[in-house]
Amino acid sequence: MPSSTSNWVDSALAVFAKDWRCELRSRYALNAIALFAVTTLVVTSAALGPAGTSKSLAINVLPAMLWLILLFAAAAGLPRAFVHEEESHTAIALRLAAPPSALFVGKLLFGVTLLLGIEALVAPLYLGVMTLSVASPGLFVVALLGGGYGLAAGSVLIAALASQARGRSTLFSVLAFPVLLPLLLLAIELTRNAVAGDAPGPALPQLLLYDGSVTIAGLMLFPAVWNP
Amino acid sequence: MSSVSLAFDGLRRRFGRVRALEAATGRVAAGEALVVTGANGSGKSTLLRCLAGLLAPDAGTIEHREAGEALSPAERRARIGFVAPDLAFYDELSAGENLEFFARLRGLPVARAGELLERVGLPADRAAGALSSGMRQRLRWAWALLARPRALLLDEPFQNLDLEGEGTVRSLLGEHLEAGGLAVVASPIALEVSGAVFNLELGR
Repeated sequence: MPSSTSNWVDSALAVFAKDWRCELRSRYALNAIALFAVTTLVVTSAALGPAGTSKSLAINVLPAMLWLILLFAAAAGLPRAFVHEEESHTAIALRLAAPPSALFVGKLLFGVTLLLGIEALVAPLYLGVMTLSVASPGLFVVALLGGGYGLAAGSVLIAALASQARGRSTLFSVLAFPVLLPLLLLAIELTRNAVAGDAPGPALPQLLLYDGSVTIAGLMLFPAVWNP
Repeated sequence: MSSVSLAFDGLRRRFGRVRALEAATGRVAAGEALVVTGANGSGKSTLLRCLAGLLAPDAGTIEHREAGEALSPAERRARIGFVAPDLAFYDELSAGENLEFFARLRGLPVARAGELLERVGLPADRAAGALSSGMRQRLRWAWALLARPRALLLDEPFQNLDLEGEGTVRSLLGEHLEAGGLAVVASPIALEVSGAVFNLELGR
């Protein structure tokens, strides 16, 4: 078992690199997330049209729609992080070889980079299709980074908990509601402020607090959940 | 090599209403193999999973010692070598990439992966998803020996192997025991294993 910090970091990076290597060869999560994101983007734009021209819609509706698209895109691909390890029986080898906290961090890094990549694809498309102009682009990017991290971290944590159960998909949905709801409300609020050009307000520190809390909760809970 | 021993006493494990393992007791020391036999469903795999730290027994004790030190379940997981029919690897990666990943995970030199693949006669560049069942079994053996474990837990270790493959892994097992390691071998039928062998038959 790796005992030093550098070995722990190497283990986490090995999991991260392995997940990306497997993902780039199978493209399962990438395809699921990208297809879902693009489909919902097209449906939203077809239903609402260039809603960004209406100030009321731009501030009150479009930020929420963006985060709903990202939520369902995340739900389509991120649970696979742990569920696939259980279903393909690779979890046995991982349990015997990986320090649990390093495994969690490796999976978290994979989930975060995957979701931030999807955000980099979806957010500009969304702004363009909905003709939505953002008064504070810097705050908008912060909202995407902070909200994306929290969404990925929360999804990976829930996936880790749900992967041990039989009704994994149902359990993921049930657990996702209370865990991700506060994050979504904060991310929507921050995105609204960015669109309107308002100050970040309390939503920014609360979002950062949420991100930190989910990460710490994951590091503390995961070893107990992962091992018998 | 430092001394190693593994003892278990009164191990029981249920899955719901099913009593999978009933009061299993045994002991094995350095250079010895314990062959666990029994009919299908008698609890052989459950016993090995408990010993590996993959399952927590409902009752009973496990004492795994290395260099006089009793290991915790987490240390047991990290130190044992494990071969089992449902141990799987990443289909998207080659056999070599799989072993190199686990070597990095355990902080071991990746060159060890190549040595072991050569020893078990497996092409490093063959995708794990394209391996035959016998080749997968060879990969399990290479994976189990990666960290040079002192204790090997082997569930049906010769399953699906051809004559040459079985000869290779029997040699590996013999070398492991000669070097002062121990092994617990589970099989539904009696197995011949060279060296000091003790038998434990599980029943329902």
